[in-house]
Formats: sequence, structure tokens, C-alpha cells
Amino acid sequence: MELLILNGLVNGLIVGGIYALVGVSLTLLYGVLRVVNFAHGEFVIAGSFLAFVLFTSFGIPPLLAVPIAAVVFFIAGWGLYYVLIPRLARSDDPELMSFLMFYGVSIAAAALMLLLFEADSRTIDYTFTPVSVQVGPIYVSTARLVAFAITVVVSIALALFLFKTLPGKALRAAIMNPEAIQIMGVDIVRLSAFAFALASALAGVTGVLIALVFPAFNPFSGAEYTIIAFIVVVLGGLGNPVGALLAGVLFGLAEQMATVFLPQAMAQIVGFLILVGTIFFRPSGILGVRFKR
Amino acid sequence: MTVAIETRGLTKRFGGLVAVDKVDLRADAGETLGIIGVNGAGKTTLMNCICGLYRPDDGDVFVAGERVTGQPPHVVAHRGIGRTFQIPRVFRKMSLIDNLLVPVLDRKAHDAELIEQAEAMLERMQLIDLRHNHAEELSGGQQKLLEMARMLMPDPPIVMLDEPFAGVHPVLCKFMIDRIEETARAGKAVLLISHDLTSIYRLSSRVIALNQGRIIAEGGVDDIRGNPAVIEAYLGT
Amino acid sequence: MASPSRAPDSADRIYFTLTALMGGVLLIYFASVPLLGLNVAFHFYLMLWITMASAFNVASGFAGYMPFGYVAFYGIGAFTTAILVKKAAFPVFLALPLSGVAGIVLALLFAPTLRLSGIYFGIVSLALAGICRLVITNMPEEITGGSFGLQLGSRAHPVQSFYVMMAVMVVALAVILWLSRSRLGKALRATRDDADAAEMMGVNVPIVRLWGWLISAFFPAVCGGVEAWYTNVVDTETAFNTLITAKTVIYAVAGGLGTVTGPVLGAVAMVWLDELIWRQFPLLNLLILGLATIVLVLFLPRGIVGTLLRKKPQWRRYIP
Repeated sequence: MELLILNGLVNGLIVGGIYALVGVSLTLLYGVLRVVNFAHGEFVIAGSFLAFVLFTSFGIPPLLAVPIAAVVFFIAGWGLYYVLIPRLARSDDPELMSFLMFYGVSIAAAALMLLLFEADSRTIDYTFTPVSVQVGPIYVSTARLVAFAITVVVSIALALFLFKTLPGKALRAAIMNPEAIQIMGVDIVRLSAFAFALASALAGVTGVLIALVFPAFNPFSGAEYTIIAFIVVVLGGLGNPVGALLAGVLFGLAEQMATVFLPQAMAQIVGFLILVGTIFFRPSGILGVRFKR
Repeated sequence: MTVAIETRGLTKRFGGLVAVDKVDLRADAGETLGIIGVNGAGKTTLMNCICGLYRPDDGDVFVAGERVTGQPPHVVAHRGIGRTFQIPRVFRKMSLIDNLLVPVLDRKAHDAELIEQAEAMLERMQLIDLRHNHAEELSGGQQKLLEMARMLMPDPPIVMLDEPFAGVHPVLCKFMIDRIEETARAGKAVLLISHDLTSIYRLSSRVIALNQGRIIAEGGVDDIRGNPAVIEAYLGT
Repeated sequence: MASPSRAPDSADRIYFTLTALMGGVLLIYFASVPLLGLNVAFHFYLMLWITMASAFNVASGFAGYMPFGYVAFYGIGAFTTAILVKKAAFPVFLALPLSGVAGIVLALLFAPTLRLSGIYFGIVSLALAGICRLVITNMPEEITGGSFGLQLGSRAHPVQSFYVMMAVMVVALAVILWLSRSRLGKALRATRDDADAAEMMGVNVPIVRLWGWLISAFFPAVCGGVEAWYTNVVDTETAFNTLITAKTVIYAVAGGLGTVTGPVLGAVAMVWLDELIWRQFPLLNLLILGLATIVLVLFLPRGIVGTLLRKKPQWRRYIP
């Protein structure tokens, strides 16, 4: 039993790291742009498929796929921003309409991946040597450890970027007070495009990591990750990147522990209940600070 | 004179801040009570406590002698309090007529009868030609007039106007002042909130001055005009 | 003073004439589908989507909510009819209204969410639909049939269920037509535009919202029941499929939220388009549905009728 719990903790931490990244990118988007990316899970899974294609068609290992995914998704996100967002801002209720529009993006993206890769579940047949590493009394797959290391590095880099660099500070300022930042002479459109690109890049990288950590993915896996992203974002407080990182780890741990003690289906329901409960009883998230509203 | 509205020891706190601090006020039928104070003095919070939007932490509100403290806003509204807002809050995607029907939806009268009343009210506010437009298509000043019409529609004995002249051009201002005077003459108790002293002094029979949630002066216009505490609150130190 | 009181009468006349005309065309057309040997399946689903989009409009267009878990009501209705008919041997005509009751019960359970707004409401609604699906999937197989679903047996009557679907659609449209002119409808719209202000103007906001919510939940639940009867089979994958919400929302938005005709027109246009695409490019169907949504939000956010009325505000009084 203790071994099971220890296993749950270690895996919870690893999975939680991934959830943290999924959540932090979504929360950045919401915070800066006030759009709800319902297609976030599909963005993530597209990253997994990119890693899959790079490996199976070009023999590029997943580790190298990380920076490639970051660049590709950054550029794609930048472009997508200009196609979708400026027009959206003109509607009566951009926040709610964004939900609907990304609903469409989500359907279209899943359908596109279905056309390209078919409905079968995919796995990347890449193995590290050694396959697993002993951590205390338990064995953890090397792939998972590598993914975790990348998660930590990316999170730290993101935190440093947000808190130590000028563009990062501008992003945080935009989350806290979008009106003021425009008066300060910041080009909000470019900043938003950058945020969209950054969030997409993070989603792409997360997708690569998911291909390493989880056994398989298919074009319809996206919806699951969208829900997880929502749970993490709400738990961390809408628009709060630090909260999302923390909430991701917390939710990963909770979910993995739930699978130790509860049947699979119940564990899923727990996730939904956490989401509903948070919105009702602690709408500003675990940290209790609302960036805005 | 009958007391139309009264508060006793009304207090509202937000965290550590006491926004409204033991306010006692009273307005009789046909009287216009001016409430002045700089931004953040607690004028709007006081109004929100009276109409039930905020639940006061302490103290009571009485309408025609009956306690309404803690009642939900729609109940307080039916007791006979109408109000306007500092920034107009019209029902944006409804026609002007429908905007005016909202406060009388519970009335037994026939729809046609109510619509006729609404049209008469719009006529009085010089908005009749726009009666089928959506409220969001009005200018800011027209929205203020629409709010006033909506407030008066159910013929409430007590009306509260929150900064009615803010951002309104002088000609319209004059028009609104006339309507407010008419309202008071019709026997309603008028609570008039403003940080603009000139209009308040002109319309009010009595004035209270708020500062940091507390009443610092109370009396006739002349008493307030020369009151050193009021002057200090306005000019600062 | 004479002109303003007489003007509404003529506007009302046009309004009622138009309503009667459109309602008559709709009625005669659908009633003659089985008689003329037209495609019953296509028109059955067309009526289903008209009903779904119109009922959704009550929650969104009238009350201002975006229930992204709308499918929950449909699913619960489908399973109620299936279980009652299959396991309790209820006659279908008793099971269908009970599906509606099940939708109302579920809506009452979800009623506390009505104090949320905007995306919070949308996300919670989505999560609750997810919970419904998981709960039904994990109920004992003797009741819900597990992952295989339930077969209703040989009780299918395509033409009979077609006319029942038509009756449901007519009732739904009549209710919404009434709502759009009623005092409840005005109260709902006021609440949608500014809930606090409405409350301070004497509107009992929680009650008004609840009524809107119940109307909006009843019809999809009945639709779920009728569809279960029509197809003779129910399983969680299809009955709680998020695509049902997606289509409902898209059709309603395409036509224009807040008007009675909007969702009807939207459903007719989009279902027809969907069928056309599906026939030509079955593989691209989903992709095009997604792209259509994006285009719709970006270029026609107020929908067909909404855009028209924005261009011609004076028509608002004539078009239901």
C-alpha cells in the first residue's frame, strides 16, 4: 500500500507538471486576451502528433522535438492570432463569443487530425536507455523523468520570463489592467499576439511531453486535456499563471491518488467535481487572488 | 408631513473600510434631500444599502414607517423606491417602451394600458419618437432621461437619483432639473446625490454632507454652504 | 397623442400576419412530408434541431446564459424514455412527458448554477454534463445497459414518432412565441441585460431566471426521448455527445439569438447545409462544421435574423 501511495505521489508530480503547463498556457491566453480557448486540448494534441511525425517520418527523437514544436507552434500561434482575434473583438460579447469560436476551432482541429492521422491511438516507439530508473523503492520510466525535468525547466524559464524580463512584466501588467497598459504606451495588439504565440508554443511543447508520459493519444484526446486545462485554470484562479502552475501539480497529485483509491470512473468525476466546487466556493482559485474582476 | 424614508444607524463595511458609518437620514413626502460628498464619501453605497442591493452590517431602513432592512431589492422596489444610476444602467437590447414596462410587470393592469402610460411618460421625457429603438442606441444624456422615466413609471413615493447631471450637457441639465422639481411637487420624497454643489443647492430643501461614510453636516442649504467641515472636506487640507 | 397609440396596432397586425403565415407554411410543409413520401429521417432531424435550437435560445437569447453542457438535458431525456419503455414497460406516450419531467428535475438540480454568469456558467455547465454522462455510464448494466446502451425493442414507428416530433416542435415554438411577447419574457430580457438593475426595478430575478431555465430544459429532454423512440437505441456515447450541444448552439447562433424566427431559420439553413456537405464530402463534414462555426462567429456574430434587424431596426416590431 505504501508503495502504491509513493507511486501515486511520484506519478502525480510528473503528471501534475504536465497539467501545470497545459493550464498555464490557457490561463495566459485568458489573462491577456480574455478569450477562452476551448481548443486548447487540440493544440496540445497537435504537439503530440508533431512529435509523432518527426519521429516516425524523420527519425527525430522527442527531446529534439521539444524546441522544434516550440518554434513551429509559436509561429502558428502568431498567425492564428491575426486571423481570429481582431475580428472577434468587434462582437457584442467577445469573451463568450470566443468560447463559441474556439468550440469551432476545436471541432475543426480534431477533424483535421482525424483526416490526417485517422482515429487510431498513436504511440511513439522511442525508448531511453535505461528504460526505467530506481527512485527510492520504486521504478519510474526514464521518459517520464525526462519529461518532468523538461517541465521543471520550462516552468522556471516561464516564471523568470514573467517576473524578470520587460516583456514578461508587460504581460503580467496586461493581465492585471489592460486599460492602463495601453495608456502606458504598450502596443496591446502586438503584446496579445505574442501572448497567443507563447501560449501556443507552450501547448505544443506540452503535447510533445504528453507523447512521452502517456501511453497513447488520438485526435479526440484533445477534449480531455481541454477539460483538465479548465480545471487547472479555475483552480489556480482565472488568468493567474502562478496559480495555474501550483494548481496543475495539485490536481495531478489529486487525480493520481484518486486512481489509487477509487475506481477509474470515479476518479474522472472527482476532476469535474473539483471544477464545479472551486467555481462555487472559491471562485478566485486556491491562491485566493483575482487578477481581475 | 409624513416621513417617507428613514435610515437609523445605517452602516456598511467592506473589509476594514467603513463605507457608510451610522447614517441617520430622513426625507418627507414632497421634500428633496440633497446628499453631497466627494468621490468615495459613501453616497452610492448608502443608496445601494437603502434599495437592498447591499445588506447593511448594522442599522435599519424604513419605508413609510415600515422596516425593509435585509429585504431583497425587488421587494424594496415594490415598497415604493425608484432609482437611477451614476452610469446609466438601461436594458440595452430592449425597446424604450419595454424598458419602461419592466418596473410595472407585476401590475394587474392590461398591457395596452401600461403601454399607453409608458408612451405618456416617454412623451414627457421627450423620447417618444425613439420609443421603438433599443436603449443602447440612445446617447448618454438620453439614457439618463430614459432611466428617469423608468424610475417614475411605477409612480413610487420615494425616488433616488445618483449623479443625474454627470456628463449631461447644460440644456439637458435644465430639462432634468425641471423634471426633478416636478417630481418633488408631485409629493414624492427625492433623494438627490451629487458631488456638484450648485444643482444640489438649487433643488434641495435640506442637505446632508457625507465624508468617509459619516454625516459631517446636516441642515438647510444656507447652513451647509457656510459649514467649515464641508468646506474642508471639499477643499482638503 | 393619437398617432403613437394607433401605430402599435398596425405593427401588431403585420406581426401576427407574418407569424401566422410562417407558422402555417411550416405546419403544412412538415405535415405533408410523410404523405408526399419525402425523406422522413431528414425532416425528423430538422424538426428536432429546430426545437433544440429554439429551446436553447430561451436560456441564451432571452436569459443570457451559455449552457455548454446543454446535451445533459437531451441525454437524460433519451435515457428516461429508454429505461421506462424497456425496463418498466411504460407506453411511449407516457414515457415521453416523463422525459420532460426528468429534464425539469435535472434543471432544478442545476438551478444553483444560475447565479454564475459568463464563462463560469459555461464551464460549470460543461462539467455537469460530463458528470451526468459518467454517472449514467457507470450505473448498473441492468438499468442503463452499460456501454452497449439500450435497445427499445420492436416498438419503433417512424411515421408516428415523426408526427410526435412535429407536435413537440409546434408546442415549443408556441411557448417561445408566447414568451417573446409575455411579461415573463420582458423580465427575462431585462435580467439578461442587467440583472442588478432589473432586481432594483422590482423583478424577482431568481424566480424569473428559473422559469426561463426550466422552459429551456424541458424541450431538449423531450427531444431526447422522441429520438430514442425513433432510432430505437440509446447509449451514452451518442446521447451525451458534445456534438449535440455544439450543433444546437451553432444553429441557434447562426439564425440569431433573442428572436423567435432566428433559431428556426438557423436550424433550417444549417441542417440543410450539413446534409448537402455530408452527401458530397462525408469525411469533411466535421471539419466544415468547425470552420462554419468560426466563420459564423467572426462574420455573422448576430446571426441571420440578428444582422437583418440591426440593418433594419424598424422591422423588430414586425418579425417574431
